[in-house]
Amino acid sequence: MKPQNLIALLLFIMGAIWALTRSEQSVRGIQKTVYRAISPFITGGSGLETTASEFIKEVEHSKQWEVKYNLAKEELDKKRIEVAYLRKLELENARLNQALKFQQEAPFHVLASKIIRRQPSTWWQTVTINRGEQQGVGVQLPVLSPEGLVGKVDAPSVNTSTVILLTDENCQVSAKVDGTPEVGILSGQRGQTGDTPSLRLRFLSKDAKIKPGMLVFTTGRGGLFPADILLGTIESFESGPLSGDALVKPAVDFAALHTVFVKIPNSPESSR
Amino acid sequence: MIKYTISVILLTLAACMVQQFLPAISGLHGARVLILPLVFLCAAVSVDFATMLLLAFICGFLWDAQHALGPHGGDPEVYTNPVESLRFGYSIILYALMGLLMQGIQPLFRKGKWHISSLLAGIAIFLYLFAEYLLINFVRGDFVFPPTAFYRIYLTSALTMLFSPLIFWLIFQLASACHHTIRYDGLKSKARYLD
Repeated sequence: MKPQNLIALLLFIMGAIWALTRSEQSVRGIQKTVYRAISPFITGGSGLETTASEFIKEVEHSKQWEVKYNLAKEELDKKRIEVAYLRKLELENARLNQALKFQQEAPFHVLASKIIRRQPSTWWQTVTINRGEQQGVGVQLPVLSPEGLVGKVDAPSVNTSTVILLTDENCQVSAKVDGTPEVGILSGQRGQTGDTPSLRLRFLSKDAKIKPGMLVFTTGRGGLFPADILLGTIESFESGPLSGDALVKPAVDFAALHTVFVKIPNSPESSR
Repeated sequence: MIKYTISVILLTLAACMVQQFLPAISGLHGARVLILPLVFLCAAVSVDFATMLLLAFICGFLWDAQHALGPHGGDPEVYTNPVESLRFGYSIILYALMGLLMQGIQPLFRKGKWHISSLLAGIAIFLYLFAEYLLINFVRGDFVFPPTAFYRIYLTSALTMLFSPLIFWLIFQLASACHHTIRYDGLKSKARYLD
């Protein structure tokens, strides 16, 4: 081997070791820098895609009406989530008042976001949204749609964020089966493709009384997702030697998803 | 030579940006055109060993910076079996291995047989994706290899390979603009390789 090639190989090995030994924090720093650099291209690409789709739709609607319609639809979806949560709060409030143990509940704030890029990587089920740290989006925040849970924020940058979808194996959610005491961990399955991948609910009792069609909700345990968010419906149940597994059809149609809502933490002003 | 090397690095960075506009095709099991790995592979066969390693580092670094997932988070008492992710930097090694494969047929490429390099680029992408999938299985446990995963690997490499003549044409244009000649002097004295 030529001396310059040997030096290049040594430098490469040193560089690779340096990259492989980066801490989680410094990887996040690197990712933020890269996303800051490429976000104009991602936004530009999304802008081009939106322009193209609007041009096609213009036969049916004028552009002005399209914008108004989208804004109204976004607002309606947002209100639906808020109303659903407020109803739950109302019930809870009545119950707590009755028990004379009143406790102030924090308001449920969501931030409407548009999906600007779908599945940017080969193996991970992720999307990119057009909201980032500048708009209050932080890591691990839940992402919702009017139909149910979409996923959680994985890597927020300044103006965009990567959301890991519920259909990914890496997005685990503590879940309960409605009408039963069964609690388990719900996640996507490896190597699945298609528009409607099934989810797997694991660590259920082996003799659980679970039937197809039963609803699956978040438990609120684990510190990542709020309670009582719809996840999907049971498709089938398999009993193993130690525990039971169920296949769950997601409540959200991930292929038709365009606008999502990030549940942002309450600011000190709003909680006062 | 230096002008050509800089041009190839710039082409790689441009490919990284173009990759942002290339979506996964849901009708083809989520297959996509991997333009960044393709530009790297096509460039790797036309440059020297040291430049190939530099390109491998740049591409692997940028790839992982865009795609590396964060930790699961949440209460470890509830999420007792968090799913492991691939470590940041693994792509640098995979890119270098793909680059070495391409360097192996460099003499043929420099004799003008770019179509063999084009075919090998498809094979290298297939191996890269397969190795990546095996690594995911290794770190997460429970070997799972559904047919859909195979279709995704196969279709992605086939789709990507279709674009390789275009990238080779771009590389030859760059070499010509930089007055750089892609040739292999070793072949003049002894023909050890297929003609």
